[in-house]
Amino acid sequence: MTGQAAAPSLSVIVPVGVRRAADMGALYREYRANIAATGAKYEFIFVLDGPRPEARRALETLLREGEDFTIVNLTRNFGEAAALTAGFERASGGTIVTLPAYPQVDPADLRKLLAGLSTADMSIGYRWPRHGNALDRVRRSAFHGLVNWVTGARLRDLGCGARAMRRQVLEEIDLYGDQHRFLPILAMRLGFRVSETPIRQSAQDRHARIYRPREYMHHLLDLFSIFFLMRFTKKPLRFFGMLGAATFGIGAVLIAYLGLDRLLLNEPLADRPALLLAALLLVLGMQIFALGLLGELIIFTHARGLKDYRVEEIIQYPEAVAASDSGSDSVPDDPAASPEMRATTPPAVTA
Amino acid sequence: MSVAKSTTIDGDSDAAKRTASARGPVAAIDVSIIVPLYNEQESVRPLYEAIVRAVEPLGRAFEMIFVDDGSKDDTVAIAASLARRDSRLRIVKFRRNYGQTAAMAAGIEHANGEVLVTMDGDLQNDPADIELLLEQISAGFDLVVGWRHNRQDKLLTRKIPSRIANWLIGRVTGVPIRDNGCSLKAFRASLIKRIPLYSEMHRFIPAMASIAGPRVAQIRVRHHARRFGESKYGLSRIYKVLLDLMVIKTIANFASRPLRWFALLSLPLFALALFAFVQTAANLLLGSGGISLPIAGSGVIFLGSALILVCSGALAELIYARGDVRDREFLKLTQTILAAKRNPEADRAL
Repeated sequence: MTGQAAAPSLSVIVPVGVRRAADMGALYREYRANIAATGAKYEFIFVLDGPRPEARRALETLLREGEDFTIVNLTRNFGEAAALTAGFERASGGTIVTLPAYPQVDPADLRKLLAGLSTADMSIGYRWPRHGNALDRVRRSAFHGLVNWVTGARLRDLGCGARAMRRQVLEEIDLYGDQHRFLPILAMRLGFRVSETPIRQSAQDRHARIYRPREYMHHLLDLFSIFFLMRFTKKPLRFFGMLGAATFGIGAVLIAYLGLDRLLLNEPLADRPALLLAALLLVLGMQIFALGLLGELIIFTHARGLKDYRVEEIIQYPEAVAASDSGSDSVPDDPAASPEMRATTPPAVTA
Repeated sequence: MSVAKSTTIDGDSDAAKRTASARGPVAAIDVSIIVPLYNEQESVRPLYEAIVRAVEPLGRAFEMIFVDDGSKDDTVAIAASLARRDSRLRIVKFRRNYGQTAAMAAGIEHANGEVLVTMDGDLQNDPADIELLLEQISAGFDLVVGWRHNRQDKLLTRKIPSRIANWLIGRVTGVPIRDNGCSLKAFRASLIKRIPLYSEMHRFIPAMASIAGPRVAQIRVRHHARRFGESKYGLSRIYKVLLDLMVIKTIANFASRPLRWFALLSLPLFALALFAFVQTAANLLLGSGGISLPIAGSGVIFLGSALILVCSGALAELIYARGDVRDREFLKLTQTILAAKRNPEADRAL
């Protein structure tokens, strides 16, 4: 019985998607016991991503038994990122914890995860020691190696659903698509400190998961969109320009070569298929460049709403006496003498 | 004594501006001096002293805004200790390093003065020149750009690329600024606060501002050799400058009529396609050896590409029509109204 009268300080969001525990009740009780052990006031929010009748029945049974949590039911499967956002809209705690809806991590280690927040804005779990066969290991390290290389991060387990973060992190991040996987990377991009905490893998998670080729492709495409978002959101022409200039350049070189051949060696231009390739490369380069300019136009017309930067704090002492002669020590250096004015800026529109 | 800590979590940046102006200790501030700082722990104190020494005698209400661009050293601590003794100093601290343009943009957003002066934090600009800039603003210019006379930098890696870039920027944008790289500039706040600054546009502020048709003055300013630390910018900028330049050109000249611009771009392609088709048709009709596949194919490619470009232009038109920044807004910024006295009756009525 968890009668949470006052506002909770800890909101636990559990997105219930395709992968979910057979016994939601047992999972919930285990999570709850370990969250309650931290002593903080908490709330649980289950987000049913699409119609999940049996999970819903299990949760409703729990509600009837007197458990206290919120169920958000999405009408169709929107994906985990959308589920997290929907859950976050209901969350009132200053700390947000997301937990997987299936036994992935050992709930006893949640305390360690939360402890990680003392030095960071976001604390994500990585399953260690990790079970799995050689193929799993190779696949994982290849994916994370690629992610880390592209984003400059150093993360080991993006697939882990156990994350704890300050409320502000989710307030500033605009999640969509399948970006939940890259939540820590998006947070880093906004200047939040992210730490990894080793947590034990749940016994039931220790089976090899078989990924279909489609999933690999989706992961790679997501990675590409993150890469684009991180590097080129504000300067699309840098990205398109690079591609376009390279394509155009190759085409131009080819045309020049063919032209010289025609002029100097009198090689007829009309029956050389290379002319086709050159023409194609030239116009392709132009197209890509034009796309980049289109991107720049989008950025420019929305530049007022976009903010490139995040201000951590503003330091000013309005009561401080203006030193009459510069740099003199005539004014006593008393930090407590003037009320300090510090303000965190409001979260702006996500870049 | 208690430490007052106020936290605002508001939705929009307007709210931030309101709190910022409410926070201002002096009601009306004439001049805001904006300095982006990145790992400048040695320079902060001398810089602060130099600014105060130079600006205080002018007898104008001023404030200093130091924007810390995620420094890893003691820059913030030193600046904060200065701020503790001087209410005119405000420090805007970034969560991480975002680059010089972002720092400038943040400084401009948090400034309350009527005239904003930007300068480098590495002591290469001389605060004594601020007076000259302010004189030009008083003389009616909207934008005053410093020009580093007798520049103290390496010739090969800094001065020559910069000279080429300036020439190019002048040619392309039609705003012949001698020294775009000089950070020492003064603006009317009403103008610069409306100019969107993003990416690495700080180098192009005059060009960006030229959308509004400002009255620009250029004056010689002193330039000192770097005393502390390393220069943070290298040669890799050239590629970026070129692309940014294209962007500025597109935006400044064509943003309000993108379809026309894209159509212009597609004209040579149409011409090439036409040429290829005429050649093919002539070959066919005159029967001199059949069609040349590469030439006919190229014609098809050019034609298709030209059509796609025109479509892109239509898309651009749509984006512009739906966007929220128009150059129409810039028109109002610097315009002066010269009313012809056609109707003396109406004038008297006023």
